[in-house]
Amino acid sequence: MMIKEVITVILLVVGCFFFLAGTLGVLRFPDLFSRLHALTKADNLGLGFIAAAMALHIGSPWAALKIFSIWFFTLLASSTSCYLIARFQKEKDQPTDRKEVE
Amino acid sequence: MSVLIDIILAILAIYLAFQSLLAKRLTQTVFIFFAFGLALALAWVRLGAIDVAITEAAIAAGFMGVLFLDALRDFSPRTSNNQEKTEAAKDIFSKKNTKSLLLPRVALVLGLVLFLLISLEAIWNIPDGGGLTVSVETMLPESGVEHPVTAVLLNFRAYDTWLEIGVILLGLLAIFATGGIKLYLKPDVPAQDILLRQVILFFTPILFLFGAFLLYIGKSGPGGAFQAGVLWAAIGILLHLGGKPVFSMIPRWLGQLLLTLGLGFFLLLGFILMAGGATLFEYPPAYAGVLILIVETLAAISIAAALTAIFANLNQMQEKPNDIESTT
Repeated sequence: MMIKEVITVILLVVGCFFFLAGTLGVLRFPDLFSRLHALTKADNLGLGFIAAAMALHIGSPWAALKIFSIWFFTLLASSTSCYLIARFQKEKDQPTDRKEVE
Repeated sequence: MSVLIDIILAILAIYLAFQSLLAKRLTQTVFIFFAFGLALALAWVRLGAIDVAITEAAIAAGFMGVLFLDALRDFSPRTSNNQEKTEAAKDIFSKKNTKSLLLPRVALVLGLVLFLLISLEAIWNIPDGGGLTVSVETMLPESGVEHPVTAVLLNFRAYDTWLEIGVILLGLLAIFATGGIKLYLKPDVPAQDILLRQVILFFTPILFLFGAFLLYIGKSGPGGAFQAGVLWAAIGILLHLGGKPVFSMIPRWLGQLLLTLGLGFFLLLGFILMAGGATLFEYPPAYAGVLILIVETLAAISIAAALTAIFANLNQMQEKPNDIESTT
């Protein structure tokens, strides 16, 4: 019981660290691409650790499945929106790109 | 410890509310408003009102967020085609502002003071014994559902819920009236991006399933028609953004049927119950569970249709000037 709690706390702290790192990246990085990188990569990892901690804390396989599906959907949605924002920015920087292809 | 979290949450919510009002740029306002919606949802969770929290997160941070982002795109200098005009308008506006800034300020301060007094009065007069909880609990077996919130919303105070569905429809009618209605017949613009299309196709059945789950779980726990309706509306909005505008793909009568289904069936049921000698929305206890589920399902469909139509119409209204520009 004790070991389980210790592992939960460690996972939570690690998750919070990644969130903190991601936020720091968003605030400090110079351009949109590196900011996106910091936000989506670090936050997804942080959420993964927190999800693992919560799953361990609740300790039922059914709840764990639900928690990890939340993580999975967030992963999917955030990477897609990251891609879309990056694509928008790229087109804004080089507006001729798409028209030449068409 | 939990009191500390509550205090931080309360301060955060008020801080974000002020920041979203005072932010210099519209983009900041919109994104701080998202954060405010999420802080509010967390506050509802802390107060034990999970139903309200889900609705708050889905509508304030989700649906309103989409509408605000859409409006933001309209305001961005990249899409506004007559910038000089807006500059001139801004000048007029700011001149007007300096002249008549005193009145809004006085009104704001008076409103805040009034609000503070009312909330203090409300806190002072919280009834002992948890208000209406006891009477709801005693009537719960007759309501046909196990969750007190759903019992109140769909049975004891069904009239209010019926009006709420009507308010959403009324909002849509207002948007129609301001010029959205004929823009349904927009030619299909396929999503240019294959990844976006695939992700939308992947999320569509999941969102549908999750909405249905929330609808059904409303019987015994937090969830219900509004939450499910917003999730289903998310499907419609995603499909619209992905180049499949649902409302221009289905026949017009079907769209109108979907929009009015919830309100219409709810009212019809009320009238039938009245004809049977009961008062409006007084379900016979034996059938209450089934009737509530049917009403909730139809209401969720109508709410989803109305929210999707609101988004679709607002989204197309702003594309109109661009079309005119491209033809001239």
